Amino acid sequence: MFKNKLGGKLTLELDDAELGVLLQLFEQMSVLLEDPENESGADPLAKMLNMSGSTQISEDPALARLFPDGYSDDEHASADFRRFTEQDLRSQKIAALTTVTETLKEWPGKTSVTPEQAQDWLKALNDLRLVLGTRLEITDSSDRDLDPEDPGMHLYNYLTYLQGTLIDTLT
Amino acid sequence: MSALPVEDLSLDLLTDRPWITLVWNDPINLMSYVTYVFQTYFGYDKPKAELLMLDVHEKGRAVVSTGTREEMERDVAAMHSYGLWATLQKDD
Repeated sequence: MFKNKLGGKLTLELDDAELGVLLQLFEQMSVLLEDPENESGADPLAKMLNMSGSTQISEDPALARLFPDGYSDDEHASADFRRFTEQDLRSQKIAALTTVTETLKEWPGKTSVTPEQAQDWLKALNDLRLVLGTRLEITDSSDRDLDPEDPGMHLYNYLTYLQGTLIDTLT
Repeated sequence: MSALPVEDLSLDLLTDRPWITLVWNDPINLMSYVTYVFQTYFGYDKPKAELLMLDVHEKGRAVVSTGTREEMERDVAAMHSYGLWATLQKDD
């Protein structure tokens, strides 16, 4: 869990099981975000200019949730918005993921978290919950309490708890 | 003298209707997280951020910012970076 120590220093305390689970989940997230389909055939110049994003929302519901349409009522504008923003959004998500994974790999030597790292943790944990929650087909807030014995649900509830402790330290 | 660039004439100039950023309710984002994002990104104080969050939660969506189309595209992109489900449109 995340804790505020004296002097306002933020720390993260994890046991071995939590550490293992988080490393595994973040690894799967980076595989999901670094989908090779998005790399092949991309125009190198467009890629350099961060404009190689696709124009269509993903058919994978989890990716569709991470990269939603920018307009609810204008398909053409949504396609343009996606072309100019999706690559950058993907890079930001991958960068946050890299930061948190690096923190975990230095374990157990490092337990303090800087304010910048805390922002990456917040976003990375939230993205993870969005993907897992979409996979579990959580459709309503009350669904969270359904079948807590389900392994996926157990993980989801753990991530919710962990993110909650982080928000508590920031607010 | 070249022809007037008719197609470039933005209707926005004539109607003067602003653009809005909407945040939509979703079952996964924590209420405390959504409030925190509204405070952090928009600089809203806690009571305002909480009211907006409750609007999103109870009414299904809320207008979180108003401005030019470019500004709203920036806000929507920022909301997506936090994992919030946001869209922009012309105010109606």
